[in-house]
Amino acid sequence: MSKFMVIGERIHCISPAIRQAFADRNPDPILLRAKEQLTAGADYLDLNIGPAERDGEDLMQWGVKLLQENFDNVPLALDTANMKAIEAGIKVYNRAKGKPIVNSADAGDRIGYLDLAAANDAMCIALCSKEGVPADNDERIMYCSELLERGMEHGMEPTDMLFDPLFIVIKGMQDKLMDVLEAIQMITDMGLLTTGGLSNVSNGAPKHIRPLLDSATIAMAMQCGFSSAIVNPCDRRLMETVVACDIIKNNILYADSVLEF
Amino acid sequence: MPYKRTEQKFNGKINVCEIGAGDAAISIGGEKTLPFLGDEGFKTAVGIAISDAPEDWADCFKTIYGDDLKNPAAFAKAAVEKSGADFILVKLASADPNGADNSVENCVATAVAVEAAVKVPVVIEGCKNAEKDAKLLEAVAKALENKNVVLFSAVEDNYKTIGAAGAMAYGQKVSAESAVDINLAKQLNILLTQLGVKSQDIVMDVGSAAAGYGFEYVASTMDRIRLAGLGQNDESLQMPIITDVSSDSWSVKESVFTEAEAPEWGSLEARGIGMEVTTAAACVVGGSNAIIVRHPESAKTIKSMIAGLIG
Repeated sequence: MSKFMVIGERIHCISPAIRQAFADRNPDPILLRAKEQLTAGADYLDLNIGPAERDGEDLMQWGVKLLQENFDNVPLALDTANMKAIEAGIKVYNRAKGKPIVNSADAGDRIGYLDLAAANDAMCIALCSKEGVPADNDERIMYCSELLERGMEHGMEPTDMLFDPLFIVIKGMQDKLMDVLEAIQMITDMGLLTTGGLSNVSNGAPKHIRPLLDSATIAMAMQCGFSSAIVNPCDRRLMETVVACDIIKNNILYADSVLEF
Repeated sequence: MPYKRTEQKFNGKINVCEIGAGDAAISIGGEKTLPFLGDEGFKTAVGIAISDAPEDWADCFKTIYGDDLKNPAAFAKAAVEKSGADFILVKLASADPNGADNSVENCVATAVAVEAAVKVPVVIEGCKNAEKDAKLLEAVAKALENKNVVLFSAVEDNYKTIGAAGAMAYGQKVSAESAVDINLAKQLNILLTQLGVKSQDIVMDVGSAAAGYGFEYVASTMDRIRLAGLGQNDESLQMPIITDVSSDSWSVKESVFTEAEAPEWGSLEARGIGMEVTTAAACVVGGSNAIIVRHPESAKTIKSMIAGLIG
């Protein structure tokens, strides 16, 4: 089995510092966050430029080149509602360290992102939803199947699709969280890969509680086959949990100093 | 349905490690797939072993080398000439405190003389006493500064001295010895790297066993190490592997019992070569990037096997 893939979420236009840096094309805050995440063990970096309706293409190309030139062609997830910006980003993307990931398609209005990924030999995050959070696992698996078929019709390898079951927030939907884990198991049993925005689970919880909830969730999800996640890699408790689970699953070789390399 | 050939893709790559200096330098490693499945990095280097205390070696070596056995420089030169080896391993066995306890100064002089006598890269082995080897290999590293020799090997109890002196102060390569323990192999690489030794300056001595004497464990260890380095892109296990099969191969009953003791087994020399070639061949296809043997015929046989496999 491959080791768990960590996609770092911290280059996100929702952060005022990053939004300003995008607007000014100021590399420093972006490079700083990239470095922090890579040092903490991120495999991929998510580059979220927001809706970027105005200058998305230029901004995405600037961001892709900036990150890849400074960090040895680090592989990236290109994250925006502007499809043209994603295509523009892929044009300047260097695949030496891994395919680009299109973030993201769903079974509703965003299904075209899957076509875009297929046409550009990219990977794609596929949300198992149509409008909002799926009501139950019947819905999740139905959307998963729709997305899988669509991707394969367009020539994608099933392993180039990362299915996101949609983590739900504990504060409000606590009774549904075990469904999400069950969905991960079902998708894994179909031989498919999974991912998800894990921090949604602990959204709204106090700062000192969030790492605990996130790391427990990821451990339980990895037991169900969860193969990657979009997370904050600077959460040390979470990253140590991922390494420990990877060891228990025999995904990486144990050594006494395994956390220090 | 049409046949679809599927190839396992790996995202990791074994480091390239250069050993030796100037015209004598060779490089090992660099492969991106399991052994002999790709084009790159499979020119396994073949080394010939000599010792400064070969008294207990089989009689056939006295016939091959004659009086050269008593003079390490002449021994080294003859071994390289007779075997066509790509590099040489000199065992400073006389340093053993539980044996001849030869001084560090004398052993360093031997290493320097051997290095000067040959035009191939040199791997220098201590006496397998961690404390003595720390002093000995540190002094060897200093005396042969910039010759880019391999210090064979650092273990858990002396990696700090050998790593710091060898690879950092005097520009040598350091081998990390883990005696068929995969977790320790990874651990030592991490410790050496933390110390400041560059990954490219580390090779792994993951250990061996004579064929038929627990070799399955060696095979699975090598497999697991290569799969971690290539498949999981585990950078702490992407160092080239160097394996010395000479001592193990020549110390089992098949290669020790004389013709008088086991007349039905035939020539001792042929048996020893057989053990050595079998063991070395298994290591080469298991992933060793450099393999060390004792008998010149073993070296020639393995070289021709590798040439045949590369095609």
